[in-house]
Amino acid sequence: MKFIFMLFFLSAVSLFAQNEFVKWEAAPASYEINNADRHDYTLDRSGFGMTILSVLRNGYYFFVSDLDGDNCAFSPSCSAFFLQAVKETSIFKGALMFADRFTRDINFFKGLNHYPQLPDRKFYDPSSNYTLHSAKIKFNLP
Amino acid sequence: MTIDTKILLRIFLIIALISASQAIYCQSNQGENIFSPENRLKFGNYLYKEKDYLRALPELKEYLKTKTDDTTQFRFADCFFRLNRFSEAEYNFRTLFSSPTLADESRLKFFESLFFDNDYAALREYSERNSYSDFKYSNEVNRLKYISFFFDDSILPKENEMLNAFPDSVRPQILNYYLLKKFPPAKSVATAAILSAIIPGAGKIYTGEIGDGITAFAATALSAYLAYSNFHNDHQFRGWLFTGLTAFFYGGNIYGSAASAQIYNVRMKFDFQKSVKLFFEERNYFLPEINF
Repeated sequence: MKFIFMLFFLSAVSLFAQNEFVKWEAAPASYEINNADRHDYTLDRSGFGMTILSVLRNGYYFFVSDLDGDNCAFSPSCSAFFLQAVKETSIFKGALMFADRFTRDINFFKGLNHYPQLPDRKFYDPSSNYTLHSAKIKFNLP
Repeated sequence: MTIDTKILLRIFLIIALISASQAIYCQSNQGENIFSPENRLKFGNYLYKEKDYLRALPELKEYLKTKTDDTTQFRFADCFFRLNRFSEAEYNFRTLFSSPTLADESRLKFFESLFFDNDYAALREYSERNSYSDFKYSNEVNRLKYISFFFDDSILPKENEMLNAFPDSVRPQILNYYLLKKFPPAKSVATAAILSAIIPGAGKIYTGEIGDGITAFAATALSAYLAYSNFHNDHQFRGWLFTGLTAFFYGGNIYGSAASAQIYNVRMKFDFQKSVKLFFEERNYFLPEINF
């Protein structure tokens, strides 16, 4: 009787273990963009100019970035950098900072530069490093 | 009630009796005050030796409320020092300046506290006062004073004056740091911006960002060529579009070159300070170990 029970329990365990093989079967692929990866569409209401810019940014996110994927090599991405730069300085200075960032972004060999890398391999390059205030320049990762 | 139950009940009663007697015995120790100053000192010293400075502090403080003891006062101040609470350490080491046994050591630790608190101005000011400067560890404090010049932007002392404070074995390296501090290989922000205004990208190359420089030159040149080409072929709209793009790249590059020079300078200063700090940390800032 004892042996029958033992056999029963052992076989039950092995039967249960077989269920684990299910996860190795081919699963249908989904190419939908995960909602968690989508950008933050919140409007910046700190000023009229900032609201207009964040509407433009949202347009870019909706029509280009969210369809194309998160491909910018930098963190924050170029669009986020532009908004940060304008917020931190002015529209004129922010545009110059963005022009410089854009040029650096199209450099094929930007990996050779001294950008610190985040765990997701993106180059950490905050707008505060480019405001021409040396006290704001930081090399440490956030 | 069966016999077994009776036996079990008796065993239980015996165990209960033994437990109760133990509790009574424990109570008899109540006469001794475990929070007496001596016990607090013992526990505080134990925690200090175990390097548990945070918990040693209240024990030593309680002891010092009732008794005066230079060694305990020194340990109390040292706890603050080791917890990086330098301003409290300074204050407590200062109270021992007239101690018959630990006056010199407390003065040294006072200066160390000022140094590690990055209060270099106070360190230099106190070290030059007669009442503070003449003691057993004045050479060590003098060295700390000279080291502090590497970490802030004050005017450097004379080269020989600084070198003489250090042992012969490290003088070449100190001289190297001295020259790097005095004549830093910095890049001029204005030069970088002007170079980029003359030749797009040249400012970036000047600051060592060669890839960015070449990219900026290519982007500006290409958009300028497209603007010219479109105007030449009477495509006004596209001509102006590429003119705007050229201005975008050109202006951004001038600004970026200036920012790049500034970042270069900050990075150079950061690396220099890191290297100096590592060098002196490896030698414990030429400070002696105090045994007390």
